[in-house]
Amino acid sequence: MTAHADIPAVRPRARISSRYLPYILSLPALLVCIGILVPFVTAIYYSLQRYRMSQPWNRGMNWGENYLNFLSDSSFWHTLQVSLVYAFLTVGIELLLGLGIALLLQKRSKVNNFVSIMLLMPLMTAPALAALMFKLMTNSNFGILSYFMQVLGFPDFRWGASPSTALFTVVLVDVWVYTPFIMILLLAGLRSLPTQPFEAAALDGVPRLEQFWRITLPMLTPYVLTAALFRLLDSIQQFDIIYAMTQGGPGNTLMVFQVEAYLNFFQSTNVGRSTALLLILWAITYILSNIFVKHWLRLRERARGEA
Amino acid sequence: MEHQSTLERWLRGIALSLVVLFFMFPIFWILLMSLQTNETILRSPPSMVFTPTLNNYAAIIAGRLDSNVATMSIEFMRNLMNSFILSAASVAVSLLLGVPAAYAFARHKFRGSEDIAFTLLSFRFAPPLLVLLPLTLYFQELGLANTYFGLIWVYQLICLPLILWIVRGYFEDISPDIEHAYRIAGHGWFATFRKIALPLAGPGIAAAGLLAFIFAWNNFVFALVLASADKQPVTVGALAFVTASGIQYGQIAAAIVLSITPTLALALWAQRYLVEGLSLGAVKG
Amino acid sequence: MSRITLENLTKRFKETTVLDGINLEVPEGTTLVLFGSSGAGKTVLLRCIAGAIEPDNGRILIGGSDFTDVPPEERGIGMAFQNFALFPHMSAFDNIATPLTARTLEKSAIQKAVDGVSRLLKIEHVLSHKPKALSNGQKQRTALARALVSEPKVLLLDDPLRNVDAKLRFEMRLELPRLLADRGATVIYVTQDYKEAMALGDRIAVLEAGRITQIGTPEDIYRRPANIDIAKLFGDPTINLLDVIPQRDASGVFATLSDQRIPLDDGYTEFVGEDCVLGLRPEALSFAESSKAVPVTVEAETPFNEKTVTLVTTLRKREILLSRPAGTPAPSSGSARMAIDPRGAILFDRASGNRIDPKSTASAEEAAA
Repeated sequence: MTAHADIPAVRPRARISSRYLPYILSLPALLVCIGILVPFVTAIYYSLQRYRMSQPWNRGMNWGENYLNFLSDSSFWHTLQVSLVYAFLTVGIELLLGLGIALLLQKRSKVNNFVSIMLLMPLMTAPALAALMFKLMTNSNFGILSYFMQVLGFPDFRWGASPSTALFTVVLVDVWVYTPFIMILLLAGLRSLPTQPFEAAALDGVPRLEQFWRITLPMLTPYVLTAALFRLLDSIQQFDIIYAMTQGGPGNTLMVFQVEAYLNFFQSTNVGRSTALLLILWAITYILSNIFVKHWLRLRERARGEA
Repeated sequence: MEHQSTLERWLRGIALSLVVLFFMFPIFWILLMSLQTNETILRSPPSMVFTPTLNNYAAIIAGRLDSNVATMSIEFMRNLMNSFILSAASVAVSLLLGVPAAYAFARHKFRGSEDIAFTLLSFRFAPPLLVLLPLTLYFQELGLANTYFGLIWVYQLICLPLILWIVRGYFEDISPDIEHAYRIAGHGWFATFRKIALPLAGPGIAAAGLLAFIFAWNNFVFALVLASADKQPVTVGALAFVTASGIQYGQIAAAIVLSITPTLALALWAQRYLVEGLSLGAVKG
Repeated sequence: MSRITLENLTKRFKETTVLDGINLEVPEGTTLVLFGSSGAGKTVLLRCIAGAIEPDNGRILIGGSDFTDVPPEERGIGMAFQNFALFPHMSAFDNIATPLTARTLEKSAIQKAVDGVSRLLKIEHVLSHKPKALSNGQKQRTALARALVSEPKVLLLDDPLRNVDAKLRFEMRLELPRLLADRGATVIYVTQDYKEAMALGDRIAVLEAGRITQIGTPEDIYRRPANIDIAKLFGDPTINLLDVIPQRDASGVFATLSDQRIPLDDGYTEFVGEDCVLGLRPEALSFAESSKAVPVTVEAETPFNEKTVTLVTTLRKREILLSRPAGTPAPSSGSARMAIDPRGAILFDRASGNRIDPKSTASAEEAAA
């Protein structure tokens, strides 16, 4: 017990270090992030300005005018519409496909595990590069997919180059990249479900289809919701795939929020409109992310509890 | 499920094959393209019978592209290098900053810790351009435009939330008693962090780092906005590559294969942890 | 130098008060058992003393010096956790050695100390194993070895036998007192098992809802529990509790059971006519032929190894448990008579639940002594 002698000296240091330690540990990470928060505030400021980089003399506060203009701006409504259609279309298709594949792979077996590992590959491909891959495959001269369409009797199927099929093309790429994400989440969910209800249902002779609707789906709902919200958050902000595939074209067919804002900023140098657009997108994602975080936290609690 | 009918087994088999075909075909086809000359690529109908050539890869690695018009140089290897530098350095910085912070959030429920953690998480969900566009103007003024330093800083937006939230989960899984026991045995908090918390969360930290590396590598928009040609990673470089005139399709395919191989290899290597990482710990892998 | 003194120790987690002004003194070299049901605050109290949890209020003194703000690594305490808290990535040897490596001892000295303590606890043969490869009993001994290896003057043992099987618990209950006495350390031992508490403690402190409700020798607590709750916690089968109203006549104070008088100490005169609870230890009851004994009906009998427990009912259908050494003859059914040893009878105030002491120093007091 030699420690006794230096207790008085130890005492003040001990209290300070244990109280401030967590702040000291997290401070560097916070500082880096503050550097990121500053531009966010700047964006709000810009969005309240008449600000074109090409017309510096004309710059000034116009308060909510950028936002008010949107009300009568048909291209804004088009952007909102395309973004929502894109988001709900991709997430809807991916949910159905992902759930179907997860059910196919539910049983643990060598083949199923191998397939689920294979399906990681599209998810790990950079979305921009995935878009390029599809661009090569849909090239009208040599693209294998164009050839398939020709064989199927659609010689004029022009994929990303035609306004009528551009949306289909980018949705296809999105589905290719992100369906595995939903599949993986739902598969993990399916495999973590308790087995007793299913055993009981099997004993009672409940048909398999009814088991799915009455037991599997309700128990899987939290996972489906979390996966859907997570994807919706990403999908409504999609940039990489659309920009790499068509840069929002042809014409303005695929002008989703971020692509429109990017082009506004760099091509028409309209900083005010561009940042106002992004803030509206931010508001949408903020609401979505709050709902998401609630569901996600609940699932996370559960996952930690089981571990 | 034990008594499957033969029909059901067949249907399952067919469905599974279709799934594998749909998700594997693009990668397979691009790989085939990368091994062909322009002549065989342009054949109609397309065929899988050809004499494979590594010329496309050789040209990209040498940085010289010979088209029928002229010889041009393309620095795709530089893009590849940039991707490595940006991703590796960003992950290293993120680990350095994020692991201690994750430990603080997991162990000390200090005032405002949840709010701060959520603010950091919200970066993951905000539109990246909202931050990037004003940042281009700041970067011009600060001289950070088109520097590795500036890019690595901004890449923290991708890596830091990911590492913070995954690693925090792993720290929370360590029983606090284990750390208490080590301290009561006479070791200070830092020794406890180093000898107990870090080794026990090690697999999680490695997985989070790998996943952050993959996401940094796959990122497109950050570098598109903030980097010029000499700092661009493969995602942006490949796009410029496609639009450059006179390029042979086999070489584009080869460039794509070179660009996606590192992430795919890492993903296969770390697939065990991927599920948990992807969902930020909401689903156990 | 290692007396433990707690002064007004208080800890709140959000709204709930876990420790409510604990005052406690553990003399040097003695073992205090901290006894209470789960959630009473035992573990939190132990962690406060170890320094793993900071109390909101109050002081912790060891050997008279204030240790309240000293970080855990500088307190020189040995502690064993209920869940063992072994370091999963270290071998048993390295686990046990951690208190020594902190003091930068020489390798050979560490080796010697670890070997010594592991021989004492009979785990020499598993020192190279990781915790995963140890049985629960070996884990428990490893955790104990880690707490003992640096020969700390203060030992905190948090229910170390909770997670081991019954056979090992029984063995350790016999072994531990000698082990602790040999070391001369001041020990605080947490348990929920009353037999463990009685076997190990020089004194027992009963903790309920963050307060110490009674502190005394095991004998004290068993014979003279402060209230009904404590009386129920100690003893197996649990004490019989009968609502009675003491009466008095020429021959003295008494209560009535099955129309038979049960004489009580005359010191209870004050409580004549009051609502009381009579506590009867099952082992203070026996079958007897005497006409003064209480008539009962034998309902069921459960034999244990060393004792037999019989459920009987009184004329008014009140259930009473009676415990006697195995092998003693007794009626297995039908009517019987039951004698009461007055030393196993305790009177409580029904309203407050507190034990009532007889006023004079008559027979009951002698019996308790």
